Amino acid sequence: MTTTTIAPSRRRLPVWGTVLAAALVVELMVFSLTNTHFFGGGAGMLSQIELFLPTGIVALGLAPVILTGAIDLSVGATASLSSVLVGVLILHHVNPVLAIGIALAVSTIIGLVNGLIITLFGIDSLLVTLATQFIASSLAVSVAGDNPPFGFPDMFLALGEGTVGPVPIALLIFLVIAALVMLLIGRTGFGRRIVLIGYNPSAARFTGVRVMRTFVGVFTMSGLVAGIAGIVLAAYFNAGRSDSGMSLLLPAITCVVLGGVDIFGGRGRIGEVVLAVLVLGYLTQGLLNSGVSSLTATMVTGLLLIVALVVKIAFERRSGESFLGTLRRRFAARTGGSPGVGRGAKGGSEKAAAEPRDPAHS
Amino acid sequence: MERPRPVPVSADADTTARTYSARNVSKAFSGVPVLEGIDLAFRPGEIHTLVGENGAGKSTLLKIMSGVYSADSGSLELEGEALGPLSPATAQRRGIYLVPQEPRLMPDLSIAENLYLGSLPRGRFGFTVNWKMINNSAGDVLSRVGLSVDPRSLAGRLPLAHQQLLECARALAHGCTIIFFDEPTSPLTSHEAETLFSVMDDLRRQQMTLGFISHRFDEVEELSDRISVMRDGAVVAHHLRGESDRASIINAMVGRELTMAKRKTRPERSGAPILDVRHVVSKPEVEDISIQVRAGEIVGLGGLVGSGRTELSEAVFGLRPSSAGVVTVDGVDVTGRAPQDCIDAGLIYLGEDRGRNGIFADVDLTRNASASVIGRLPRKGRLIRKRQEETMTQGALQNAGVKAANMGLPIKSLSGGNQQKVLLARWMMAQPKVAIFDEPTRGVDVGAKEGIYEMIESLTDDGLATLVISSELDELVRLCDRVYAVYEGRVVGELRGDAITSDAVGQLAVGAA
Repeated sequence: MTTTTIAPSRRRLPVWGTVLAAALVVELMVFSLTNTHFFGGGAGMLSQIELFLPTGIVALGLAPVILTGAIDLSVGATASLSSVLVGVLILHHVNPVLAIGIALAVSTIIGLVNGLIITLFGIDSLLVTLATQFIASSLAVSVAGDNPPFGFPDMFLALGEGTVGPVPIALLIFLVIAALVMLLIGRTGFGRRIVLIGYNPSAARFTGVRVMRTFVGVFTMSGLVAGIAGIVLAAYFNAGRSDSGMSLLLPAITCVVLGGVDIFGGRGRIGEVVLAVLVLGYLTQGLLNSGVSSLTATMVTGLLLIVALVVKIAFERRSGESFLGTLRRRFAARTGGSPGVGRGAKGGSEKAAAEPRDPAHS
Repeated sequence: MERPRPVPVSADADTTARTYSARNVSKAFSGVPVLEGIDLAFRPGEIHTLVGENGAGKSTLLKIMSGVYSADSGSLELEGEALGPLSPATAQRRGIYLVPQEPRLMPDLSIAENLYLGSLPRGRFGFTVNWKMINNSAGDVLSRVGLSVDPRSLAGRLPLAHQQLLECARALAHGCTIIFFDEPTSPLTSHEAETLFSVMDDLRRQQMTLGFISHRFDEVEELSDRISVMRDGAVVAHHLRGESDRASIINAMVGRELTMAKRKTRPERSGAPILDVRHVVSKPEVEDISIQVRAGEIVGLGGLVGSGRTELSEAVFGLRPSSAGVVTVDGVDVTGRAPQDCIDAGLIYLGEDRGRNGIFADVDLTRNASASVIGRLPRKGRLIRKRQEETMTQGALQNAGVKAANMGLPIKSLSGGNQQKVLLARWMMAQPKVAIFDEPTRGVDVGAKEGIYEMIESLTDDGLATLVISSELDELVRLCDRVYAVYEGRVVGELRGDAITSDAVGQLAVGAA
């Protein structure tokens, strides 16, 4: 047997992450120069993003789900339920720590139920979480009752508004979760399985990956993280509003996609999602602070997302390929559906074709 | 664009008798060449049959000629006129139709609707569907393929054989005169197949241009006017009706330019079987199969595609349910256990479809190779030590003879043979006691095959119990100490040592002995 040496992999700077980091720096500089209020001596800048952090936290729970090639639409509603639940419990004089524990437990159970329904019945995650979204949000409305809870003790409010030195506690929570998710995806077996399933669920199954178990885990985690976002929301608004979480869903998906995670699963880095959260958060807040209406800010966000995704394609160009050529290649690959298109847990149980089969037509 | 006029049904395609040819057609799937420079002409009034081993490229060629795939290079010519890019719809408009192996009908639409799907005849103003015309002419077309059923009943209610005839009728309803049949008989009983053959015979008499793929030699010889043998993506022999004898066709199918190395004789093993499969049933493909593999021997499973070999392996490896039977690996009962449990017990399965079920195409070599042992990777606390993981997989890949520039490359950038070696390395990292290799050299170029054989042999010499599934007869002859022949979900014979010849295995595989 011939033995040839294979060189170790070369460490390369993540291109998209660099672009996002550069965009963030430029953005912060522009807003700081044009708007003195924005910079606020550095500390002000850190607190600018508070309003956006619950979205960022949801995005961190959602990213692993999307990495598997699935989607969780129930995260916003789960966050709502969690924020209402924690508020009602606190106002009923339950110990805040216990109240948080209960809210997180309920959120986790919603995620677990999502995962179980998706895997046991083999239903597409999009449909299952669309349904559980309605259930969770209506639960939130009914728990909130006619008078949604507000006016919490300071100790609890600190989660949303407090600071440690100059750093907002909410930002710390976000960064801690980010670090944990980053390690989880990059360095644990669970994370490795998530990524492999995202790239090719069928091959993952044939390689011994416990696909269903991984799906359940990923959805459970998504529920838990959405619950944490809900608690930060309640603390920030000093109220548990049953509608507060719903507005988190689409921006959170936006962050994940802007962070370079392939919506069909597999490819993506949590670090880049974190950067995308910061880019998008500061952009929204910076625009609002500069006196732009929230309508315009939202529109700019949409435009930016499209520009970013197109620019990202340009970076994926193969050597010697024209920009249009890249588009055509991607389109050809996409219209047929990549192996990762199989959302949810319907791993390839189909018998393999006898003749070589082009994935684009199977 | 001209608005389509209400047309008499079956006039929407070219209906004259025509010769249809492929000129220098090549095609590769994810870098693996499947067709290389095919030149082939289908003539009117003839049934032209393609035979060849699995993966020879027969289906791919017909799919290209009917617009399902597009060729990477080369052209398609209709009566000498080059056709532009072809989709199934444009192919149909040019009168070309592919009857697939499994009928693809809309089960909840009526038979008539299925017939005219895609070009329903319109009423006078072009907005409404002319149902009267459809239902009337449907009866005519159906009778041409010998179907006497109510055109208004649901297509899904038809038995499979009739659905196949309905597919054929669809081609006629659209006025197609060039019709390809991609292994139409494999889901049919021999009696049902006879009906299809008489329809094909009729069409031939009407000067239609017919292409046919089959693995059953009896029907090939009975029907064909012309037989082309394909091997490794090329046409290697032509035979005309009457001048073909079975032996020379088989020879052309399995022969290799490179003569294979001779089988290494190993001492006969007598210990307790490491893999013991008893009476496993997994319907519909696996009826009842028992096999034993001992340490240090290579056992083959020969048979046709669809004979149940792959399905048996998938049932053994926990990828599909089995309704009866017991599987033990070195004494440990793994019946009905998940793949991961089988791996932990010492059983691994290298699947036949590398692109779909094997490689993670966009993932680097390291993570591709370590995918089977994620739970056993070196860790610090709960975190994988990536540097050590890479060193570990690097060793395994080098042992398997993988040629690659560096570990960070996506596996799809490697050749088919190197991809397969990465997968072998992946499974050897799991340190198995039993390995099932399903078509281990499919899509591997001839040069790399011998390397894979040698690797399988050396692993077996080190005590691995090896089961090889192959549709290439000479691969079984090259490797195996023992061969089980599987036919229609049952073991129909067992050969040992020098009794293993292409002829002997081939005879058993078609249920002839």
